[in-house]
Amino acid sequence: MDRKKLTLIALATAGVLTLADLVIAFFVAAPVISNMSLDIAGVNIGGKLFANPILFSQKIFYFHVPVAITSFVVFFFTAFYGVKFLMTRDRVFDTKARIATEVTLIFTLLTMLTGDLWTRVEWNTWWVWEPRLTTYLIMLLLVIGYFVLRASVEDEEKRAVYASAFGILAFLDAPISFAITRLVPSSQHPVILRLGGGLDAWQLTAFLLGMFGMLCFGYVIYQLRYREERVRERIEVLKATLED
Amino acid sequence: MDPVLQQIYQLVVPSLPYVLGAYFVLWLGLMIYVAVVMSRVGKLEKQLALVEEAFSKRA
Repeated sequence: MDRKKLTLIALATAGVLTLADLVIAFFVAAPVISNMSLDIAGVNIGGKLFANPILFSQKIFYFHVPVAITSFVVFFFTAFYGVKFLMTRDRVFDTKARIATEVTLIFTLLTMLTGDLWTRVEWNTWWVWEPRLTTYLIMLLLVIGYFVLRASVEDEEKRAVYASAFGILAFLDAPISFAITRLVPSSQHPVILRLGGGLDAWQLTAFLLGMFGMLCFGYVIYQLRYREERVRERIEVLKATLED
Repeated sequence: MDPVLQQIYQLVVPSLPYVLGAYFVLWLGLMIYVAVVMSRVGKLEKQLALVEEAFSKRA
């Protein structure tokens, strides 16, 4: 199939799935009933006792988590194309790595925003220096650092080499950030994804819609930005040839 | 809407609609960003077609 058509189909899919995810998550999916001891403010609703923090933290699962996982997935491509560039010295891979990092930046910022909005409501604060948030903030700073590095090196060849090496090293923070809640249990940031999580049909549907939709968004933005760069480069080459 | 959810939103987290609204705004922002990039790509492709035409005439 034509890549242009595939991008459009992916965009429509992304829009529909993520919107459906939001609607199902907040209006249909049942709340999670915690069975932990309720020494915190428990609330009796419909004959069931709900632990407020656990209950609502779970709602973030349907939007914030797919966005965060997409940021990890796209960041992997920064490292992947960085390795490909260092192996082949083909500039196309440097462009691909740069675009992947741009998409990572978008999703990392979205993750921070959706997370912060939630922590303000849930934890009554904008920021907590706990392991997951800290390692994810480091990832955001590394992604920003990638662009600072690119902007500070004038020589194109050196810029591509340094950026590729930096991108590969920076990506190492992603698995650390993903696994940190399992390695260093935090009282605040829950372990969201685990085997046997016991989601009911609507909860699982909402999560999968969000996950697939966000990955489609990542793919669409990457493809569009890559096409934009390629077309721009082609125009510059043709213009230069015409001027000669 | 799930009746238990409705009761929870009314009683426990009255600010939740604002959070949901904020999430929707972020989703909308993502869609707008995609639309802006698509429009930029469209303009560049038109420009490329013109340059290619000029190039083929020159050749």
